[in-house]
Amino acid sequence: MNAKVLYIEDNEQNLYLVTFLLKTRGYEVLQDHEGQEGIDIAIREKPDLILLDIQLPSMDGYTVARMLRSELDLKKTPIVAVTSYAMPGDREKALAAGCTGYIEKPINPDTFLNQIAEYMQIAGHRGNA
Amino acid sequence: MASSIHTTGEYGIVNITTHFGIPNCTFVYVPDYTRVFEMVDNKSADVGVVNRLFGILNKGKYDVVETSLTFNPSELKFAFPENASINNIIIPRIDYHMTKLMADGDSIYYQSINRYFMTGVPVVEKIPDWLVYLIITVTIVGIVFISMSIYLRRSVNQKNATIKERNRIENRLRMVLGELSIAKEKAEDSDRLKSAFLATMSHELRTPLNSIIGFTGILQQEMVGPLNAEQKKQLGMVRDSSTHLLNLINDVLDISKIEAGQLTPVMASFDLRASIEKCIRTIQPLADKKGLALEIEIGAGVGTFISDQRRVEQIIINLMSNAVKFTEKGKVRFECNVDESNVTIRVIDSGIGIKKTDMDKLFKPFRQIDTNITRKYEGTGLGLSICKKLVDLLGGNIWVESEIGKGSTFSFKLPIAKGMP
Repeated sequence: MNAKVLYIEDNEQNLYLVTFLLKTRGYEVLQDHEGQEGIDIAIREKPDLILLDIQLPSMDGYTVARMLRSELDLKKTPIVAVTSYAMPGDREKALAAGCTGYIEKPINPDTFLNQIAEYMQIAGHRGNA
Repeated sequence: MASSIHTTGEYGIVNITTHFGIPNCTFVYVPDYTRVFEMVDNKSADVGVVNRLFGILNKGKYDVVETSLTFNPSELKFAFPENASINNIIIPRIDYHMTKLMADGDSIYYQSINRYFMTGVPVVEKIPDWLVYLIITVTIVGIVFISMSIYLRRSVNQKNATIKERNRIENRLRMVLGELSIAKEKAEDSDRLKSAFLATMSHELRTPLNSIIGFTGILQQEMVGPLNAEQKKQLGMVRDSSTHLLNLINDVLDISKIEAGQLTPVMASFDLRASIEKCIRTIQPLADKKGLALEIEIGAGVGTFISDQRRVEQIIINLMSNAVKFTEKGKVRFECNVDESNVTIRVIDSGIGIKKTDMDKLFKPFRQIDTNITRKYEGTGLGLSICKKLVDLLGGNIWVESEIGKGSTFSFKLPIAKGMP
C-alpha cells in the first residue's frame, strides 16, 4: 500500500504544487484547506506523514500541530511544517508545537521529495511509497 | 633772669598776674583745653592759657601765639654777706653763671630743659600695656573674624551659585532625557512596525514565489513532459528571476533581523580553510563564465577559528561575487592571513573601481552607487550593507580601498577569541 500523506494548506497553488510532486513519487495525498477539518481527516485516515502550513484560516498551524499530537493514534506520526514564516524563532516555535521537521517556503523542487523521503524514514517507512 | 620767669603748674598764671600787677583778672577754670579755645573764640574769655604741649600741637588749628614766658616763678632764696649789695654783687654773679650755663650745650641748664621739654615731649597719658595688648588682640581677632566672614560669605555665595547652576543643568538634563525617551519610544515603535512589516512582506512574497519556483522546477525536470530548447531557455530565465527575487527577500529579511537585534551570531569552532574552499567552489563557476582568473592565497596559519561559520561564509561569498560581478577582465584575488589577534581577509579585483565620494555610501542599504551601473550589474544593493552589519556583529571591521578604473580591495578583519588556538 502506498504511503499516505495529509497536506493541510490554504493556498490553492501551493496545495496543487506539493500534491503534484508527491504524486509523481507515488504517495497517496489527502488534502485539506483548514485546521479543524484536517485534524478530523488525520484522526480518520491515520496518514503516514502530515505536511502542515502554519498560516491557516481560523486555527493556526501551531495549534493544529498541538491538537494532532494530543491524539493517541497520531503521537508518532511525523508532522512537517511547510511554511513561509522565516523569521528567527519560527522553526523553534513549530518544533515546540510538536512538529517533527520544518521546510521553508519556497520549497526547492529539486530536493523537496528527498526531504520528504527522509522524514518518512525517520517514521520507519521506506523512502519511497 | 631779666627776661624770663620760671613757672610750673596751673596756678602759675595767677602768680604771674599778681607779680606783674595786672589788675582785674578773672580766672575761669574749664575741664579741657578745647573748651579754652571755644571760649576765646566766642569772646566769653579775653585770653586763654593752655600748656605748652597742647599749644604746640594745636598751633596751626587755633592760630596760637607762642611766648617764652613760663609761669609760676620759683621762690628762690639767696644768702649773701650783710654788706654786699644785691644789685652789685648777687645779680651780676647769678647772671654770670647763667650766661656760662647757657653757653655750654651740655650744661645742667640744657639738660634740665631737654629733660622737661625736648625728649619728654609726649606727655600724653601713657596707655597701659594690657590695654595695648587687648586692643591689638581685639583688632587682630576682629580682622580675622571679618576676613573669615567675608570669605565664608563669598564661598557660600559661590556655592549657592554653583548649586543654582547645577539645578539648572539638572532640570535641562531631565527635560532632554524626557524628550529623548519619548523620541526613543517613537523610534522603537517605528522599528517594531518596520520589523513587523518586513516579516509580513517576507511571508506574503514567499507564498506566491513558492508556486513560481515550484512549478518552474516541475516543468524543468520534465515531470510533465519533454521540453524543446526554447522552452528550457525561457523556463531557465523564470527560474533565475525568481531565485533573484528570493535572494532579495532573504537579504531584506537579513537586514531587518540584524537591525531588530534578532540575529545572534552562533559562535563555534570551525575549519576556516575548509570554509574558504567551499566558498571558492561556489564562486569559481561565476568567474569561469566571465573568463576571470581566480587567485587564492591562504596563509599557513589559517585553520581552526571561532566565529559564526555561516555568517563568515556569507560575507566571503558576498564580497567574492561582488568582485566577479564588477570585473570585466583581469582577475579576482582572495587572500586570507592570520596573526596573533586577527584573521584578515582581502578580496582584490581589477574591476571598475569606486569613486572616493561614493565610498561612504557603499555600506549603507540600497546604495548601489551609479544608477546606470545598477542596470548593468543586477543586485539587491544590500550585500555590502549586510556584510558590514555581519562583520560588526562578529566584532570585526570592514573597509574598502579603491581606484577608479583600476579595481577595488575589500578587506575585513575578525578577532581571534582570546585563549583559543
